[in-house]
Amino acid sequence: MGTSTTYTENELVSLLKSRDSRAFGYLYDNYSASLYAVIAQLVDDMEIANDVLQEVFINIWRKIESYDPVKGRLFTWMLNIARNASIDTLRSKSFQNTQKNQPLQEKNEWIERGKTTSVDIDSIGLKKVVNRLKKEYRVLIDLAYFRGYTHEEIAEIENIPLGTVKTRIRSALIQLRDYLK
Amino acid sequence: MNIQEYISSGIIESYVLGLADEAERAEYERMAAIHPEIREAQNAFELSLEAAALQNTIVPPVHIKSKLLSAIDMDEQQPGTPVQPGYKEPVRPHAKVVKRDFTRLIAAAAVILLLMSTALNFYFFSRYREYNEKYVALIQQQTELATHNQILQTRLLEYERAVEMMKDPNMYVVKMPAAPNSPDSTSATTVYWDTRTKDVYLAVNRLPEPAAGQQYQLWAIVDGKPVDAGVFEMREGAGMSKMKNIPKAEAFAVTLEKKGGSAVPSLDKLYVMGRI
Repeated sequence: MGTSTTYTENELVSLLKSRDSRAFGYLYDNYSASLYAVIAQLVDDMEIANDVLQEVFINIWRKIESYDPVKGRLFTWMLNIARNASIDTLRSKSFQNTQKNQPLQEKNEWIERGKTTSVDIDSIGLKKVVNRLKKEYRVLIDLAYFRGYTHEEIAEIENIPLGTVKTRIRSALIQLRDYLK
Repeated sequence: MNIQEYISSGIIESYVLGLADEAERAEYERMAAIHPEIREAQNAFELSLEAAALQNTIVPPVHIKSKLLSAIDMDEQQPGTPVQPGYKEPVRPHAKVVKRDFTRLIAAAAVILLLMSTALNFYFFSRYREYNEKYVALIQQQTELATHNQILQTRLLEYERAVEMMKDPNMYVVKMPAAPNSPDSTSATTVYWDTRTKDVYLAVNRLPEPAAGQQYQLWAIVDGKPVDAGVFEMREGAGMSKMKNIPKAEAFAVTLEKKGGSAVPSLDKLYVMGRI
């Protein structure tokens, strides 16, 4: 596919729904780097991020039929697939075992990669914005968005009432929205 | 509920980022369907989120794209895999799995082919042995038949000659019944005497089998004296023995002598006699 080709979101979605592999290539070219950055922030491991990225795009290909443009934009839908896949991986037994066995090495790989690509994962995307939040908000967004805990689980972990958790997360999100504008 | 309050409550961000729970999502979708301004606000947040994400990128390893393209190709070649609406099952190493399955398939096919080939080898080897045995047996039988055939041919030739001799008008037939004091009164022989060549042929009609070391001898009686006409072997069938040439005789007689014949006949062992 030539770089000159551009699709509107509607065109892209209908081509993907008709199983057009060129449209899939276009989708990958335009969104893989953004989604890869999100996945990298979430799983914190290069090899696993590669696997998750593949899983995410295969799922996009397979589930495109269930995407409903009325409910939101294509990127939002893909972002949620990427987040869910990353959190599932973080929670899987095999991932937790790897982390227990080689915590230093895994971390170092990312530091190395951060250096070579001149990217500090904590300084990009949502994480950069989240880092601007005050600490009590930051902790809750980290648990809820980056680790996928439910509000109930967070109330238990942080030992604060569920209502407080909900209110604080809402407030944090409103601030995030303003930062993103 | 005041719509503006609802819009600025943080529910839109919660919904978009996937942090809203089931009840909140259901309520939000109900509200959004009624109030287009909710969707507008949602779209604005989504666009700012997307813009931020597109500015913050890490380029993934190059090989992933080609891997994915071949994986979805393979996906398309296997229609009927139901697409699950939920987001639970990890499908991550799809391409790898297919590849491994293919290798396994090849390995399984190879093993099956090897087993089939081995079985066929055993089958063909046993068939080969069976046919080889049969072949050897056939060769033996064929040799036997050929030998038998030769014997029959020889015998047939003898019959033909005997019949020709009996039909020959120049052949003089001398019937020789048992002599008065013959050791075996049922004995009988016949002499066929060619009147032109004077050749003598003897046919045994009936004579007892001689003991070992003994042989029958034919005599021609010429001017009252016995003349040796040769010894003969007992033969199967109608075969005739060619005896010595006898130019002239009044009678023929057969005696049992020692093997090879005697110069003088043993008259006590005179079996048959026939006058001309």
